[in-house]
Amino acid sequence: MRFLPISLFFLLFGSCALQTTKDLIAEDVSEEYVVNNYFSNPEKDYVYKAKIEVYGNKFGGILIIKKLSESKHRVVFTTEFGNKLFDFLYNRDKFIKNYVVDDLDKKVIINTLKNDFKLLISEKSKVEKQFDSKEFKIFQTSENKRNHFYFFHKKSNELEKIISSSKFKEKVAILFSNMEDQCAWDIAINHKNIKLKISLKKLKK
Amino acid sequence: MRNLILIISIFITISLNAQESKMSSSETENFKNQIKKVSKETKTITSDFVQFKHLDFLTEDIETSGKMAFKAPNWVKWEYINPYEYSIIFKDDVLLINDGGTKSDVKMNSSKLFKKLNQLIINSVTGDMFDNEEFEISFYKTERFNKVILKSKDKKLSNFIETFELYFNKETGAVVEVKMIESSQDFTKIIFSNRVDNSQLNDAIFTN
Repeated sequence: MRFLPISLFFLLFGSCALQTTKDLIAEDVSEEYVVNNYFSNPEKDYVYKAKIEVYGNKFGGILIIKKLSESKHRVVFTTEFGNKLFDFLYNRDKFIKNYVVDDLDKKVIINTLKNDFKLLISEKSKVEKQFDSKEFKIFQTSENKRNHFYFFHKKSNELEKIISSSKFKEKVAILFSNMEDQCAWDIAINHKNIKLKISLKKLKK
Repeated sequence: MRNLILIISIFITISLNAQESKMSSSETENFKNQIKKVSKETKTITSDFVQFKHLDFLTEDIETSGKMAFKAPNWVKWEYINPYEYSIIFKDDVLLINDGGTKSDVKMNSSKLFKKLNQLIINSVTGDMFDNEEFEISFYKTERFNKVILKSKDKKLSNFIETFELYFNKETGAVVEVKMIESSQDFTKIIFSNRVDNSQLNDAIFTN
């Protein structure tokens, strides 16, 4: 019983420290903006085979992303047969739900998808803080009550992951791999607080 | 120059439209009988297919291709090979899916819309879908094909797919092309080739 107060202390504060910035060294902000170039070419159709795992249920589809203009991105998800399941339009901070199939049209689902894909496609965000580690240069941005951490590999200068967190907890991690020609051929979107994983593989021409 | 292009394009539009005309009622009857007969005699089908997904905002259509197998009365295997491996087997009330090695099965009872859609896909393979009261059906002929347009009367389905267009080989009555058009006018087009009817198909093909 004597140990209770101290264990309680660890429970409360030990688990509260944000894992993302652990072992990172804060430094002065040197870049005004952080840029994610993976969906930035309006001449390209970004088409990915998607696998989604949500609470043990697995299903697949095709994710299509297109930059329509400087401020607009279209994000469409279809079945393998080509039937649209959802169709979103992002225009800066505006979000338009062009179409969602009835079975998916629930507020909590739409909000999750909306936020995930916004994080994925957002091209330019204002840097609030900057960190350094052995392997990465890290830029922190903020949006609503979330912080986003962009990890650029020092050697390749490529964006390898984005971690979105609340003040104390990591919520979503987006991992980019197999980069070529300003495209990430493999992308994983992993949620930490709900059982949702989205893996994306770019289609070969 | 611009006028010349305009005149030529108007001419092409007119001549394309001229190629397609409505079937007379006797032609429609004959055609329906042909398809009923073909679909009755067809115990199995194997075919290659190429699928084009058209979205108005894309630079290019998304092209995928693979093989299809059908065994009467209602087993269908749809297998994408390029550019990814994915197969889906419609078997009685279950869907068997193999998504690049990840296998799963889905009971169709859970979604009425899904079940209906699958039935339509199966029916469009054989072409026998004209007794369906859920559609407004019209019949056309072109020089090479008979064409059937099915407009969905069901609002839930028409949100998903508004119109089916089926193209039939005039001689054989085989479906050569299926076009599924959404209310946004985006569409999926599937073109069949190398079709073989009534070959021996092992049941094992329809297992996951």
